[in-house]
Amino acid sequence: MPERVVTVVPEDGLHARPASKFVEAAGEADAEITVGRVDGDQVNAVSMVSVTRLDVEPGEEVRLIAEGDGAEAALDELVRILTTPEDEL
Amino acid sequence: MTERRLSGTGVAPRSGAGTGVWYGPDAAVALGDPPDPDSVDAERERDRFEEAREVAREELRRARDRTAERLGESEAAVFDAHVQFLDDPQITEDVDAELDAGYPAEHAVRRAFDRVIEEFADLDGRMAERADDLRDVRDRLLRLLLDEERTDLAALPPGSVVLAERLTPSDTARLDPDRIAGFATVSGGPTSHAAIFARSLGLPAVVGVGEALRDVDDGAEVVVDGSEGTVVVDPAESTLEAAAADADVEVRRDPVATADGTPIEVAANAGTEADVRAAVEHGADGIGLFRTEFLFLDQSSPPTEDEQYDVYREALAAFPDGRVVVRTLDVGGDKPVDYLDRPESENPFLGERGVRRSLGPDADLFETQLRALLRAAGDADGGRLSVMVPLVSTVEEVDAATETLDSVAADLDADGVSNARPEFGVMVETPAAAFLAEDLLDRVDFLSVGTNDLAQYVMAAARGDERVAGLRDYRQPAVLRAIEATVAAAAGTDAWVGICGEMAGDPDLTPLLVGLGFDELSVSPPAVPQIKRAVAETTRSDARELARRALAAATKQEVTEILDASR
Repeated sequence: MPERVVTVVPEDGLHARPASKFVEAAGEADAEITVGRVDGDQVNAVSMVSVTRLDVEPGEEVRLIAEGDGAEAALDELVRILTTPEDEL
Repeated sequence: MTERRLSGTGVAPRSGAGTGVWYGPDAAVALGDPPDPDSVDAERERDRFEEAREVAREELRRARDRTAERLGESEAAVFDAHVQFLDDPQITEDVDAELDAGYPAEHAVRRAFDRVIEEFADLDGRMAERADDLRDVRDRLLRLLLDEERTDLAALPPGSVVLAERLTPSDTARLDPDRIAGFATVSGGPTSHAAIFARSLGLPAVVGVGEALRDVDDGAEVVVDGSEGTVVVDPAESTLEAAAADADVEVRRDPVATADGTPIEVAANAGTEADVRAAVEHGADGIGLFRTEFLFLDQSSPPTEDEQYDVYREALAAFPDGRVVVRTLDVGGDKPVDYLDRPESENPFLGERGVRRSLGPDADLFETQLRALLRAAGDADGGRLSVMVPLVSTVEEVDAATETLDSVAADLDADGVSNARPEFGVMVETPAAAFLAEDLLDRVDFLSVGTNDLAQYVMAAARGDERVAGLRDYRQPAVLRAIEATVAAAAGTDAWVGICGEMAGDPDLTPLLVGLGFDELSVSPPAVPQIKRAVAETTRSDARELARRALAAATKQEVTEILDASR
């Protein structure tokens, strides 16, 4: 299954606006996506509750795993969101 | 009945008077015990839930649009998060399970949301904020399911003053500034969503009043004074008259002059694009202090020259007939920037900040910023651009900054890049700059007095330390005399002098500032109409006499009495 490890850039981490954009993009993707810390559990990327609860801070690494026809495209977009400073989102 | 005064934090420099209406979102969510599961039609409840969710989604979309229009995209994003909580698979599965177990829709919603809310509420900081968002979403659903005729904030009678424990983002999006006279809340600070909203709309508001607010009866007559930070219950006639005069300030698009014909520029302070829009809406003549820190803070890398150029150009385009005074980067002090190397400083406010950094460790950033500014100044379609540097305390700093400006201009010329030399000035924020005003004026086109820092440094009383707030007051004679030294130095020169600190936004002080000889007053956008009115009502000759008397006073008390007597 395609997966990526990425260092989170936005100032708010995976909270607030970045989390919102992330969940929105995951919801639109033609793939099942999970996200989690590299050494932690994976959670459903479409769930704002689950994503927020990870409490990922900027500078932390997360692993994204995708399954489905749109997996690669979805991962590209999610990586872009996680590596873009907040006010450019 | 004598009036009672409660104090809190004022968030918009205006007053409003009206009838207190208690708004309690929590009251709407009171549910009785669930009925016997056998008496509940699960399919019907599922339909009710889906229907409520559909309406909620539509409401949130409207709240988002309204907020984006009023406050900007980043404030509106809170409603995107609300939609995602509404559609969260974990919560909806949980709701489903509760419906299967025979709970009516409203009980299912409450049980499913409350589990997550409890979990988040126990955590710190922003996780607890998410709990607030979840409560907001839960209550929206419950209100729709219960068809609750709760106080509709969007439909309150004109002249209502909303009283609440706190106001959620959803609540504030529904406040109609054309109908509501103001609001006051028990909790909440100056950076809460409600406070930000009130400030950007110029809606009179006092937050963080505390438990005392709860004693105000529904239907009581209330004045909310957002500049003093007070809530006046059962106000005296004189208080009401003052508030009424304050509430109906007409927006003047044209520049104003004193009653005897001295033109005074009334500009606005701005730090974001939303501020620039608010400045235009409130009839500002231009931007008197454009803070550029927002471009640099809260990011992982500095903005590029082109990014800055776009921002400056947009600000100029908003004031085709006016002036935009851009302050170069003012970091150090209490403003952290992650990508800048900042050594620990025992006293950052007396350390390397403002121009000291721009001529030292941040020289590259300074040059890039000046390049962007000179390019923006070269565009013919906007207003006039002025550049000023913060925290100057020596003539050498001005000379060095000027040299940098010249060399940047020469580089741009050599590269064939269109640019123009902007007006160049400095902020007077240190006693040193006030003492040196005459020598600075030999070198610059204008001075702008930053009264917040000037008061802090003249009085050796730190900003943010409430214990010395009484010292750090612009009614202190020493502060007034430092200001006077600055303005007096400019008399008879071609230079103009402005004031961009908080002092400028207090309409009670407008005659004093006019009397001192300021050419420009720069204030928060919502304060512009009041200050313009105050200028128009001031007579320059009277104002001069007032300033003369105030400057002769030896104590803050005397200054206050002189100002009060002149009202």
